Amino acid sequence: MPLKWYWVLNWQPNAGSTVNSQILNEVTQCVESINGVKEGRWKATLTFYKPMLRDQALSAEFPRDFLGISLPEQPNKYYFILRGHKIVLEADSSIQLIMEKLQSYKSRVALNFEGFQYQLGDFQLRVGKVVPNQSESLRGIVMEVEYLPISSIEKSRQIMEEFVDIWQDAVSKRSLPGHFMHLEPNFSDYGLADHYTSQHTAVQYTHVMAHLIASGQAVQAARN
Amino acid sequence: MECVVQGIIETQYVEALEILLQGLCGVHRERLRVHEICLKSGPNLGFVASEVRLLCDLEQSEPTWTVKHVGGAMRGAGAEQISVLVRSMVESKASKNVLRLFYALGYKLDHELLRVGFTFHFQRGAPITVTVSSINKMLKLHATDEAVPVTPGIQMVEVTAPATSENYNEVVAAVSSFCEYLAPLLHLSKPGVSTGVVPTAAAAAASLMSDGGGTTL
Repeated sequence: MPLKWYWVLNWQPNAGSTVNSQILNEVTQCVESINGVKEGRWKATLTFYKPMLRDQALSAEFPRDFLGISLPEQPNKYYFILRGHKIVLEADSSIQLIMEKLQSYKSRVALNFEGFQYQLGDFQLRVGKVVPNQSESLRGIVMEVEYLPISSIEKSRQIMEEFVDIWQDAVSKRSLPGHFMHLEPNFSDYGLADHYTSQHTAVQYTHVMAHLIASGQAVQAARN
Repeated sequence: MECVVQGIIETQYVEALEILLQGLCGVHRERLRVHEICLKSGPNLGFVASEVRLLCDLEQSEPTWTVKHVGGAMRGAGAEQISVLVRSMVESKASKNVLRLFYALGYKLDHELLRVGFTFHFQRGAPITVTVSSINKMLKLHATDEAVPVTPGIQMVEVTAPATSENYNEVVAAVSSFCEYLAPLLHLSKPGVSTGVVPTAAAAAASLMSDGGGTTL
């Protein structure tokens, strides 16, 4: 499959405001106002895993940032990430069954990133909400910007930044209480090269999640 | 889930076995060189201890990794009646830092070994894989270039086939039927059931080597 360059943007609300479905609707309308053509739904799932320990007093010896991610563009794959160790792993979906059988780590909470995707020239956009699995409680808003022709991160950086400037300008005209942020992870820390892959996407989702937690938007969901 | 039988054969008869397998399977053998790393959960991790195997295929130009979990065998009177082991087994391809990941999760190295030999993959009532290999141990950690045979002069033969809870009876029958063809050279049984080498192996091997497998054993 052709490889693409993603930016995952997450909505950063202004101080004193929170994300809500009205903001999500406004953002969606913004995409359509710049002639984005709606194509269908998308969904990614991020799962927090916790170690099963016989002695909770030793919990500090085990990672608390063990995440699993399923991506819509890779239905037969699953991604594990250990943020503290800067490890990203791509595996077959069956790795989830292996983890279930090992019973050493279990799913603590799962968050869905879901919404609609749009085509806009050489760009594919996905706008979505962040909600806990089996809940409609909105924890965040994310947007994926995918530039289809190029898979080199550095070669496509300028055009990506130009598009995002256009996008931010369009959003700003709606006077919404917040803005989109892009926090680019240091992919080389994870051993990832300039050629973009789904492992890069998994790392970006992890960083978005970390930012949501740090900004308090997903604290309740993640720390249950 | 998979069906499994194992046996041993003296290295001097492996060439004859290969001729026999070539004739039975109708496919070419594939070389095998797999570094198998067996990990166990650390003392505090999990309410029950767990094991996982990481298999690194060294025969490829770029080593590829597989995570393998072998679970419990099917139990009950029905399971005891059949001569093939039916057990839970799940595999997943994984990217190259899978060992780092499991170490970071709290898994420890239990043992490692290097399998060197060949495999035949073919269809005979079920997709069957026959693996003939020497089991080698490493004298230094992960030093696959310095491995020595665990049992010099003896190689392991393993016949496996994937199965489901719906079709395992058919797969068992297919594996059992195929194993009968190998009986003159080696006896195959459930893992853990020791059978030793068969007394007819020398004569059978001589027959195979003398006419390249044309003789019906």
